[in-house]
Amino acid sequence: MGSLSASLTIVTQSLQAEQTAIQTTSNNIANVNTPGYSRQVANFDDNPPVQIGSLTLGAGVQISQVTSLRDSVLDLRVNQETQQQGSLNAFISGGQQIQSLFNETSGSGLQAPLTAFFNSLSQLSANPSDSNTRQGVLTAAQNLATAFNQTSTNLSNIQRGENLSVTQSVSQINTLTSQIAAVNAQVAAATGGGQNPGPFIDQRQQLINQLSNLVDISSIDAGNGSLTLTTSSGAPLVVSGQSFQLTAQANPTTGVQDVYSQGTDITSKITGGELAGQIQIRDQQIPSTLSSLDSLASSLANSVNTQNQQGFDLNGNAGGNIFVPPPANGVGAAQSLAVAITNPNLIAASGGPAPGSSGDNTNANALLNIQNQAIVNGQTPINAYSGVVFQIGSAVSTAQSNQQAGGLVLQQLQNLQQGVSGVDINEESANLIRFQSAYQASAQIAGIIDQLLQTTINMVPVP
Amino acid sequence: MSIRLNPNPLPSLLLDIQQSEQNANIATQQVSSGRQVNQLSDNPDAAAAVVLNHNQTGQDDQYLQNISTLQPRLQVADSSLSDVVTALTRALSLGTEGANGTLNAGDRQSVAAEVQGIQTQLVSLANATYQGTYLFGGTAVGSQPFTLNSATGAVTYNGDTDVTSVQISTGNSIQTNVPGSQLFQNASGSVFGAIQDLITGLQTNTNIGAAVTEVQNALTTVDTQRVTYDNSLNQLTSSEDFLNQDKVDLSTQENALIGADLATASSDLVQAQTAEQATLNAAGRVLSLPNLLTYLPPP
Repeated sequence: MGSLSASLTIVTQSLQAEQTAIQTTSNNIANVNTPGYSRQVANFDDNPPVQIGSLTLGAGVQISQVTSLRDSVLDLRVNQETQQQGSLNAFISGGQQIQSLFNETSGSGLQAPLTAFFNSLSQLSANPSDSNTRQGVLTAAQNLATAFNQTSTNLSNIQRGENLSVTQSVSQINTLTSQIAAVNAQVAAATGGGQNPGPFIDQRQQLINQLSNLVDISSIDAGNGSLTLTTSSGAPLVVSGQSFQLTAQANPTTGVQDVYSQGTDITSKITGGELAGQIQIRDQQIPSTLSSLDSLASSLANSVNTQNQQGFDLNGNAGGNIFVPPPANGVGAAQSLAVAITNPNLIAASGGPAPGSSGDNTNANALLNIQNQAIVNGQTPINAYSGVVFQIGSAVSTAQSNQQAGGLVLQQLQNLQQGVSGVDINEESANLIRFQSAYQASAQIAGIIDQLLQTTINMVPVP
Repeated sequence: MSIRLNPNPLPSLLLDIQQSEQNANIATQQVSSGRQVNQLSDNPDAAAAVVLNHNQTGQDDQYLQNISTLQPRLQVADSSLSDVVTALTRALSLGTEGANGTLNAGDRQSVAAEVQGIQTQLVSLANATYQGTYLFGGTAVGSQPFTLNSATGAVTYNGDTDVTSVQISTGNSIQTNVPGSQLFQNASGSVFGAIQDLITGLQTNTNIGAAVTEVQNALTTVDTQRVTYDNSLNQLTSSEDFLNQDKVDLSTQENALIGADLATASSDLVQAQTAEQATLNAAGRVLSLPNLLTYLPPP
């Protein structure tokens, strides 16, 4: 047999449960714009029934727990795509700086001074004794050298910028991993204490997502809600409540900052996040472009010098170097390319074997013909340069297509993630009305029980 | 139950707006720059090809400049040789006149004096210059190629026998001189030898007929050698035509590679702007949609 006092208890529990649900709803609405917040749901459970005699009676309701709604697989995919995006964005940012140095469509780059240099030799061929024409060759050679120097300097500046970015990324990664370690401990504590770890997981996911933008990570569930984070090559970042710092150390050979984890150089093993893009620009794209330019500059200088030595200058002496001889291995040739002579008479326009007269242009023609010779790794100078331009444009273009495609995937994943975890005002409003009605009904029941109790009490005559 | 949608479309909408703004910017850039390829990454193939295109255009410009340097020089040389031919023709008729035996000694001497005048004129023609450089000294353009010994009447060649050639289009060179020795002291007819013999012949009344034949041979030789200049001048003209056409072709190619078709670019711009407005309009509508609370009765 039921009792009024039991009903009153049920009503009290009901009011408490609805209050909790309303509070959860309020919290959801309050956090509708909080980044990384996952909506929470108050789970209603009916209490275990009580057996009274032959009757099994319901025993009211309670909020068993408040849970955060999230899909950890989606979180993981979002992190993975974020790593790709971070890497591509950093690469594109550096690549755009590089390609602006070679913007041949608007006429800035090495093509113009390169063509002008050979044109000055063509002009020399038509008028080898003219001192202005000879001076023109030296001026064009100087312009070419300056163009190589500046382009090389600019590339090195971009490289230094990327190097600084690498150091900054490492320090940001360290800040994030120590924050994640702290939150990781809170998640474990909440999970162990039977509380809802959701808010901490939200915070942790938010931090991991920021970390994903910087570096490739792999996360392993360490049990108890705790996560172990490593780079994808296995360098530890966070293990339960402890974070492992990455360090940037100057490489004595290259002068750039290498990334170390626990004493191991992991620079070349970083495959995702901005750090990967920065390292790719700094350690691969720029050195490769610089090396192509060095190869072009040194081949050109050597060929021009060798050919000039075959001829005779205006004074009837055997020709010497027009360019300062580049380093034997070619490294730094673009940076150091310089004209060796200031006297235009020293250009050996005349051919051999004996000194020719001032109108002899045999060697000028031979110098001019260098432009058609495969002197740079089997290519003519202009074709080799055209190849450099293509390589840079193609690298940036590929990264841009990948970034766009990945961006769409990421957007889709974020939509799905928000579909699971995002707060919907309409949904919360509807829930609020449900909880309000239930609360009002329970309150009404309390009133009725009160009346019934009054009635029962009044049954007893007043003594 | 259907899949729950993202209740907060704002980030997606912002991305869409950014994308349509970017499209409009690209279209604007294409219209304002007149180029479809504004960065290497826009079209790496075209950017690499345009390097070669600009290089070829630059070379063509230089070849045209070479042609305009060479043309007047060759014309001066050619017209000097034309004057040589005229002078030799005059010498020939004087020689023929002296050889027919009707002249007395005094007349012959005055004819000889006239031929001596022609000799001086020929030496001066053989020392023709263009902008301070000698035209017929081989590659020795800085020193006078022919000197006349006024005592003996002998003419000495001080130049060399080198010929020069200059490229006037890719892979195409022309000969830009004929050495003076080949023109004026050729074994098959030496101008100065013939004239000297004619003067001596007229002065001494011996072997005039033989000297006239020599002058005739010299005249033929000069005419033959002069063909080189005519050929070179013809090649300059045809090369100039070719280069101008090539520049037009290169410019067309450049336009095809990186140029924006203005009609297409303009309609792209309009399209991008329309799309941007449509996106903004749609975003505005989505963002201003009322929610459930709007319809709830006030408490």
